[in-house]
Amino acid sequence: MVSTYQDFIIIVAAVLIGSTSALAGDDPLQAMLNQIREQDQPVGVAAPSSGLAGAIQSLNPDISVVIDSMVHGDDARGGIGSILEGVDGFGPVRDPGGFDKGFNLREAELFISSTVDPYFRAYTSIVVTEDEAILEEAVVQTTGLPYGLQLKGGKFLSEFSRSNSQHPHDWDFVDRPLVSGLIFGDGGLVEKGVQLSWLAPTPFHLLLGTEVLQGENEDMFQPLGREDSDDALRDHAGPRLWLQWAKFSPPLWGSHEAQFGLFHGYGRHQDEWDDGINDGWLDGHSRFLGTDFVYKYDAPHAYGKGDVIVQGEYMYREKDLNLRASESSPALVGNSRLDQQDGLYLQGTYGFAPRWRAGLRWDHVGLTNRSRLPDRTTQRFGETHRLSAMVNFSPTEFSRLRLQVNRGEYLVDGDREEVYQVFFQALFTLGAHGAHKF
Amino acid sequence: MNVRSITLFALTAAMFSAAQVSAGPLKIVTTTSDLKSITESIAADRATVFAICEGTRDAHYLQARPSFIMMARDADLWIRVGMELEIGWEPMIIDGARNPDIRVGGPRHLDASEKVLKLEVPTQRITRALGDVHPSGNPHYWLDPLNGRIVAETIAERLIRIDAAGAETYRANLAAFQKALDERMFGAEAVQRFGGSTLWARQLQGTLDGLLAENDATEMLGGWVARMRPFKGRRLVTYHKNWSYFMNRFGLEVAIELEPKPGIPPSPAHLARIVDLMREQNINTILMAPIYPPRAANRVSAQVRARVLVRAHSVGGLRAASDYLSLIDEVVNGLAETL
Repeated sequence: MVSTYQDFIIIVAAVLIGSTSALAGDDPLQAMLNQIREQDQPVGVAAPSSGLAGAIQSLNPDISVVIDSMVHGDDARGGIGSILEGVDGFGPVRDPGGFDKGFNLREAELFISSTVDPYFRAYTSIVVTEDEAILEEAVVQTTGLPYGLQLKGGKFLSEFSRSNSQHPHDWDFVDRPLVSGLIFGDGGLVEKGVQLSWLAPTPFHLLLGTEVLQGENEDMFQPLGREDSDDALRDHAGPRLWLQWAKFSPPLWGSHEAQFGLFHGYGRHQDEWDDGINDGWLDGHSRFLGTDFVYKYDAPHAYGKGDVIVQGEYMYREKDLNLRASESSPALVGNSRLDQQDGLYLQGTYGFAPRWRAGLRWDHVGLTNRSRLPDRTTQRFGETHRLSAMVNFSPTEFSRLRLQVNRGEYLVDGDREEVYQVFFQALFTLGAHGAHKF
Repeated sequence: MNVRSITLFALTAAMFSAAQVSAGPLKIVTTTSDLKSITESIAADRATVFAICEGTRDAHYLQARPSFIMMARDADLWIRVGMELEIGWEPMIIDGARNPDIRVGGPRHLDASEKVLKLEVPTQRITRALGDVHPSGNPHYWLDPLNGRIVAETIAERLIRIDAAGAETYRANLAAFQKALDERMFGAEAVQRFGGSTLWARQLQGTLDGLLAENDATEMLGGWVARMRPFKGRRLVTYHKNWSYFMNRFGLEVAIELEPKPGIPPSPAHLARIVDLMREQNINTILMAPIYPPRAANRVSAQVRARVLVRAHSVGGLRAASDYLSLIDEVVNGLAETL
């Protein structure tokens, strides 16, 4: 039945020989193709199919889950967390992170994204650990603003630096660079707020952004809202944190690409002062600023062989706080405390074989490291550094196994603590194929 | 935001994006060099065309680099291969470009796979245990010259819609491109006699030889079809599953791929199996694109005395494959000399 119909088409078509008018539906090939598309079944030797036969059409959002687990060992007495917590000049870090000795299930990250309607796109990332589920990101962004503008709102990882905007499973090493971990804590700077960014109409890539955030980072921008008997340390209304950043990519040739960034953040911060002798409540401002860069070479080999990534960041922070109340030393009330610290990291990875990568990272914090206390004494601290080496194997885009060794020399209470860490990490992605950010 | 302000906002956005359309040649960005070549044939000097993925690169694995975002920012038209080939990088580039019209579903986003004939569309539920299998079928469809012909038409249709002033040029260029392609496929004489469209329809139906015999015109057939005819039914080995469309069109068969599964590099055990299979079935050719490492193919060919034919599967992958027609030319000639 079908083939008689096809023959008929061919006969009709044969009559029309010569009329090979482009874009017209009346030529034999077009008739044939239309027929295949309508019937969507094999014809002749070919077994072609067309249209939406294979595409699964649904309005479900893209969903993926990344499972991030590892075996970790270190030779620090109280575990690596207890070291990171008290690094001189930075401590006490409220969210130092760290890993248990033995098996760790860092997280399962559930990532859901979709276009909302013709004007918005949204995504959310829910981090599930053994004990809790945290709404890490919940973001709506515009898709149709003119002039290269984009507005983004919700709760999100601040995009001021490359390392801060990446989720842990996208990092080239298991753990967060020391400088950002010691300044913002292990979770990085993730806040509620809005972001406006502008892709400038320049011949090179220039992206300028500003973020207005609630300011709830325990180490840099937290409201304490502490009511004291003598003096009130009142909560400042949000938003309490303002950020500006710029990212610039020079035009490079071929498969080379680089991006340089500058960033600055300024906000309100309240803190407590408790050094065992003195105690009190501090209120003031915190600021951070810095620069980062990434260079990538995409080698013309399959499976990532020959690819190079070099990346680095420098960040300086300043906490300028005023002593508002103190029971033990009321005479000092009104004096200020100034914390000035900085740090950097530099890392590189190289695809030494198909699917294999090796990398080195150098962390160095406390090049500037001093605190001027309300009692007008100044404490100067030394430097802390760490060297990390890693090798990873990615069987496919969806799985990755990584071995990493860290050797850190941490300054804790003036003592240099040498700590070795070893990780064997396994990362697996289920579900939707995510797009990779540069 | 109430409904009125959203509408107002949308209208303003639409006005601005309409105002962005500049005079002068259109800026067209294609995801691959093959689409670029076809688009250039249709648009000629009415457009400048940029390709994101050069022929020397693997379009499965690219990154949303800032320089690609720059191309997309200024694009008047974005053309992709589709079928999830660019899934790992297209969304990030388009998101980063802040160019609302080229978003998927927008008036200036074109999926070139819209009308092509697709192969290897999964009929069962797929899993990633199968390797890099695409849910809507094998995306390497441009290696079937018929699909190249169809894509040219899809592109011309869209160009006419977004640049009506050039409609005549686009129609004429499309006709010229299709005529050139038809002549390479079937030979100028046969096209002159029967018309390209009829030849294609007969080829699709498997009755091309009949048509020629009835009309005493068997000798008239030239081009790729004539060149490949002696090898109909021959089996060969390829590296990746990227030649299916070509083989299907010319009646060749791929016995097995060096990759055990799409996207998984060859393993020693799999190569041993291939050596046995090639001996058993007397297969003497391994065809592969230059983007893949040659070691596995060389190792196998040394054991079974097969020839390794390296041919670009995308325009620009090798110097000789300088445009779409010469890309197919090179594969046809290479196979005709090797098989």
